[in-house]
Order: sequence, then structure tokens, then C-alpha cells
Amino acid sequence: MTALLSIRDLTVRYRREGVEVTALKGISLDVEAGERLAIIGESGSGKSTLALAVAGLLAEAAEVGGSIEWQKPRSSHSVTASHFQPLGGRDIGFVFQDPSFSLDPVMPVGKQIAEVARTHLNLTWREAYAKAKTLLGRVRLPDSEAALRAYPHQLSGGQKQRVAIAAAIAAAPKLLIADEATSALDTIVQAEIVSLIRGLVNEDGLTLAFISHDIALAATLAERIAVLRHGELVELGDTDQILNAPRHAYTRMLLDAHLGLDAKPLLDRQGASA
Amino acid sequence: MTVLAVSNLSKRYRRGGKPFAAVDDVSFEIGPAETLAVAGPSGSGKSTIARLVLRLLEPDAGRIQFEGADLLILSGAALRARRARLQMVFQDPLAAFNPRSTVARALDDPLRIHGIASRSERPRRIAALLERVGLDAGLAARAIHEISGGQRQRVAIARAIATRPSLIVLDEAVSALDVSVRGQILDLLLDLQRQERIAYLFISHDLGVIRALAHRIVLLEAGRVAESGDARTVIASPQSAVGKALVAATPRLNRIKTP
Repeated sequence: MTALLSIRDLTVRYRREGVEVTALKGISLDVEAGERLAIIGESGSGKSTLALAVAGLLAEAAEVGGSIEWQKPRSSHSVTASHFQPLGGRDIGFVFQDPSFSLDPVMPVGKQIAEVARTHLNLTWREAYAKAKTLLGRVRLPDSEAALRAYPHQLSGGQKQRVAIAAAIAAAPKLLIADEATSALDTIVQAEIVSLIRGLVNEDGLTLAFISHDIALAATLAERIAVLRHGELVELGDTDQILNAPRHAYTRMLLDAHLGLDAKPLLDRQGASA
Repeated sequence: MTVLAVSNLSKRYRRGGKPFAAVDDVSFEIGPAETLAVAGPSGSGKSTIARLVLRLLEPDAGRIQFEGADLLILSGAALRARRARLQMVFQDPLAAFNPRSTVARALDDPLRIHGIASRSERPRRIAALLERVGLDAGLAARAIHEISGGQRQRVAIARAIATRPSLIVLDEAVSALDVSVRGQILDLLLDLQRQERIAYLFISHDLGVIRALAHRIVLLEAGRVAESGDARTVIASPQSAVGKALVAATPRLNRIKTP
């Protein structure tokens, strides 16, 4: 495997309410081309900051140290550039937790997807709309012809997230970043979206960075898991190793705190019931 | 004896000009020191049930008996007196408090409004409440927005127990917490239930959490009860389509069991 991107000693600081916060402290990590990597952590772990840094979406005021180097694509025209600079939307697709933030409420969703395809793939509007319709079918929206003309408010939360995913993959990016993309959805819709992401990533040979607070959910999708805590990378390993032979006490705590359908009920643990 | 008896409860809304039943002929009972979970997908009516029980919404039909009294015909002082026995904790405690308020102020309000403690007695009661939920009494002077999410949810629980309730409605009360904090809050809820004999109406979408905490479960689909019974039995072998779908969709940790 070759690294799609190499993160070296990445440090991100920013100010929040006048206080300096170090969101990431010296993260080094390779994202392999074609892999499904989960980045997990609790609130304040820096997982979203890492996703934004990779996508080049950090606020300008953020102080960034270290480097993120991308593998230069073979077809790159920028032969003179010392290293390849990816473009958000074209090379990186980003799916956020709340699709309402990434969708324009007053534009039909078909146009929003077509716009991405037109901008980055040099298509005509007609070609871009045809592409949008295909994409709406691929994210399994029923009646993709009608969905093209729908406005975001006419769709359910799960349907909006499907549209956001269609827009994120419209320009055939190398890397798809999903940042808590299923956290606001109920369990059943969450499972459907995870299965959709898995299918699309396989079909298109995408590299996936799946950001989540939920280690069990991440493990259903990822080949490798990176565990972040307080801005530091505490453990990185194959999913199987992380689940069955975690090296770090914090990873063990996350696993033990998971309340699965096979965990011992707390009611029993304390040895009493009503 | 039952703490809460809900019978044939219905609530209809209009959505896109068409009437739809958010809650449709729902009945259940909760006994003292019992946890009843209400679960279901988004839009199945679980939060509407919480709001109806708290009388934040008026039902179109049905009865709500709380401690033997008809909650829907109570008003004025009688309702206020009964309200003290029926408390709530929501998902986002920051939205449930005035963010500029201090912890002490948030706990002083219920003690004052329900006439539970005199002005001179209240600081001692507030300190005792904070200790009861595992917080340092020194936290009283801090602003609500300054403390962590887990601490804030403990303050919300302290506020709920200040009026010695027999029932607390917990609407996704642990859903937004980090897992490292969630376990401690669940332990606190169980401890309070045993010590104070408080019943919980536990609204959640998370079957794992429900299985850990709840005695019984009501599974909703499109406003109707699809299935109900002993929480572990229902989750181990769901009979309804929605129960099967929820169990199948719950992520599993597939760890190799070590002896």
C-alpha cells in the first residue's frame, strides 16, 4: 500500500472565548490509498479538527504546525509544484453530521449535486444533471427524477444525508471524509447510511476517513482505527487488534464502556432490581 | 400500586396540511422504583409521549393518572403541587438551564418555588444535593456554561431530585454524553432509584443503554405500541418488525471472548 497522505507532527492551536486551545498535539499518521480508516475519540479529542485539517477547512485563525503531504496523482498537471495540493470538493468529499449545514435550503438538491459535477468535472449543465440523477440513484433515493427537483426541507434527515453523500462523491474524490455523519440519525437509518457508505467506497475505490465517537460503529466499517484523546493519537492499529488486543488503557476503557446487546446489564452488576 | 398509568393516549398533528397521529392509542404503566424504556425510530412518537406526560403538550384523547390523580384535569395549585413529584431531565442540559445562571441558582429555584426549604436553609440543601449527585459543593458558585457536559447533567439530575419526585422523565438524557461519562451517570441514576425509590420513564433510541438500565420496554412504531415487555426478553428476541430492525441495526463489538 502507498500512503494517500502523510500527516507529520501536526499541531493545531486556536483561541476559543479568549483561551488558547491546543486541539491537536503532534499527530503523525499515514492514510493508505484505498483504506477505510476510522478516527475515534470523545468530545475534545481533536477528531473533527483532524478531519478539517486534512480537508483544508480549518478556520484561518488556527495556528497550524507540522505537515500534511499528499501523494501526487499520476495525472496531475501541476508538474512544477513541489507537492500536490488537493482541492476540496474535487479531491476530497466531506460529509458533516448535520446535512442542513452543507445543503442550500433554497436550491433544489439536484442542482446542488450538478453544480459540484459541473465545477470539477468540466461538464455541461445537461451532463451534470444526468450525473446528479445517476448519483441520487446510487445513494438509493427512491424516484431520483423527483428527488432532483426536491428542496432539502422536503426530505427526511436520512434522505438529506444521502443527498449530502451524493454531492460529496459527485466529483469522484480520492478521499471521502465522514465526520459523525450518522450521529444525528436513529439506529435504523444509521445502519442504512453506514451500509451505503461501505458500498460506495467499495464500488469507487475511495479512501475513507470515518470520524466517530462510537467505537462499535466505527469497527463495523473500518480496517484500521486511530484512537484520539485530548489532541493526541493514543493508539493506531488494525480493527481486529484494537478490539481484541488494545495496547492503551484508554482504548480498553472505551471498549469496556460500550453498552452492547451482550454486555452485562448494570441492573445486575449492582445486584438488585425493583 | 402504579406511579404512572397512561391509557389510550393519542396526539395528532398536521404535517404538510395532512393530519397524522404522532401518538396513537398508547397505554402503559410504571410502578415505584421501576424503569420503563420507551424506544423506537425517529418520528415514532417517543418524545411526544414525554411531552404529554409532562403536560408540555395536551393530548387529543386518553388519560394520564399520576399517583392516582388525573393529571389532565389538575390545574393551578393542585397541578403545581403534583408537578414537584414529576420531574424531567433532557438530552442537552445547556438548553435546559439559563446559561448565565449559577449552579446554586439553578438548584435554589425548585427549592424556593415548591417551598421545600427556607431561604436560610437552602445553601445547606444545595450543598447536600450536589454531594448527592457526586459533585463538589464548591461547584455551587460556578456558572452553568463553565462546567463540563457531564457535570451539567449531574446538576440537571440534582435539580430533578430537589423536589423529591416519584417519577423522572429522562428524554435521551445520556445520549449526548461521552461514553466515559455515560457509565457514571447511569450508575448515579440506578443508585438514586434504589435509595429514593424513583421511577424512570426512560426515552431512548439506544437499545444497549436500555438493556443496561430498564426493567421493561415499550417499542413504538409510527405512534403505536409495536411490542412491549421485559426489556431483556424483548431485546433478545424481538417479535415486531420494528423491534427486529432496531436490534439488527445496533452495532456490535464482535470481540473474541477471552476467558
